[in-house]
Amino acid sequence: MKPAKKLMKEELGQFVDHLSKEYLVYGPVARRSDFSFQEIDSAEDLRFDYTTTTIPPKKFFHHRQTLLRYSGEDYSELESTLEKRFLLLGVHSCDLNAILRHDRLFTRQFHDPYYLKLRRNSAIVALICTHIGNSCFCASLGTGPTIREGFDLLLTDLGNEYLIEVGSSEGQRMIEELNLQKANSSDLEKKEERVKLALTQFVKSMKMDGLNQLALKYLDHEVWSLIGEKGGLAGCFACLSCGNCSLVCPTCYCFEVADIPELSLNQGVRIRELDSCQLLEYAEVALGGNFRRDRKARVRQWMTCKFGGAGGGFDSSCVGCGRCINACPSHIDITEVAKSLRGE
Amino acid sequence: MKLRCGFFKFTGCSGCQMEILRLEDELPPLLEMIEIAYWPMVTSKRWEENLDIAFVEGSVSTPREVKEIKEIRKRSRHLVAFGECAITGCIPSIRNFMTQSEAEETVYEHTDWIESIKPSEISEYVRTDISLPGCPPHRNTILEVIKAVALQRKPHLKHHSVCVECKLKDNNCLLTTEKRPCMGPVTNAGCGAICPSLNRECEGCYGPMSAANASSQSQILAEIGLSMDDVKRKFRKYAGTTDEYRKEAA
Repeated sequence: MKPAKKLMKEELGQFVDHLSKEYLVYGPVARRSDFSFQEIDSAEDLRFDYTTTTIPPKKFFHHRQTLLRYSGEDYSELESTLEKRFLLLGVHSCDLNAILRHDRLFTRQFHDPYYLKLRRNSAIVALICTHIGNSCFCASLGTGPTIREGFDLLLTDLGNEYLIEVGSSEGQRMIEELNLQKANSSDLEKKEERVKLALTQFVKSMKMDGLNQLALKYLDHEVWSLIGEKGGLAGCFACLSCGNCSLVCPTCYCFEVADIPELSLNQGVRIRELDSCQLLEYAEVALGGNFRRDRKARVRQWMTCKFGGAGGGFDSSCVGCGRCINACPSHIDITEVAKSLRGE
Repeated sequence: MKLRCGFFKFTGCSGCQMEILRLEDELPPLLEMIEIAYWPMVTSKRWEENLDIAFVEGSVSTPREVKEIKEIRKRSRHLVAFGECAITGCIPSIRNFMTQSEAEETVYEHTDWIESIKPSEISEYVRTDISLPGCPPHRNTILEVIKAVALQRKPHLKHHSVCVECKLKDNNCLLTTEKRPCMGPVTNAGCGAICPSLNRECEGCYGPMSAANASSQSQILAEIGLSMDDVKRKFRKYAGTTDEYRKEAA
């Protein structure tokens, strides 16, 4: 590991300008009533005090993509139009863990060339999260707020300056030309204090151990009809099947593929975009058959997946970012579902 | 062989037909593909030959329209319920929540001239093959239906919530973060989340999505402060007489 450095806060603009020479830089910015990863023109737009964004960084890797263009019997894969590499600046531990899970998921039996192409074209400057939201519970899952792997650089807000730790040779190159101060042991201690303080801010928690087994064992548990049909688990309304939970989930990866022909009909494009197991059509097969016609079955499927009990295993399981809780108009809370399954 | 198409207007505003005219750049290639066999809005040509696709806009609200829709069904290979009026009754169906006489007397001085029945979706009278939702349907979905018929496959239309389109566009959520009465969670997608993308709540103009949970949506709207009368109006506006919304709209 290369020695850690320090970046004075007033030098952040310079740092971002420096990164922009080589990368398209995306980072958290404030909108009317939420935060979102957007292209950064100026460091002033950056909001390193963000709790969470509505949509996770998966929007850069796996949202909606054109896969190929076809013409008659022939097809050609579309070349990436990106001229520069892109950099995600200020990624929190929950989201970084989710990206690492997707890295495993998309390289298991089959290597997904579309995901990997974008992923290989990206760099990550992570940020230790010190603004814990009311829905966050990464600490209880071991997915935050500390970060140990997966970043090129890691920033920690120490008050007047950022501690910069290097995680890769690409990260080292990012700061090489900058004349940064070396960090000393008291800076590293300050970082530990920040993390400790963050740990005291968590309101929610979830005990993951064995939940995958429990969810599969109790398929008829009352909690499924509470969230799927009646409402009433910790004050929630019944599920809307709107799909928000899975679309904002950083580890949900299911997608659909469709051909969009031009009016000539013999040529067009093939696209893929995120799908959701919460939608009625997701499990529909020929002649209108459907494996999950009941709302209850769909919401149970999603929860089971987040507990690590579905096809993605732990590579599509929950990282505790709390987005599904924030995005659910019915106030369904995954941590309450877990408690209920455990009989707590 | 070009697809022989007819465009019919029942009780509606002609907005759905206007969407086809608004295709503009796509019109020349589209006309390579379809033949306009009947379309009173654009040509005085009379309807003679049987159709490959009949696009029917509007709800059925007169005895003459009942007869006509049956005739169209008989003479068309594919009958498309074109837009919300044809699918759910849409805005004209708001008057189904009052008596026929009340509706007639509100508008007309001499009601004995009026030959009107309660507006209903066209599937009340005939079988339809494709529902093209929206008030009006998005141009891309219109093209998709025509292409699907030409390719003899099922049209790739969305039946899920508007929320999905909002999330794919990374929109700021109006309902959960601003407590504004957005109908996105129960409304059929296809518009590309036009309104929420422009900081306006979804009004529900594509009708109920598949498996819409109106009961939860109505509790959510009440929770953010809408009166029960306002909740009722939200559900009545575009699809109050559908199975999905009937209870919340009543």
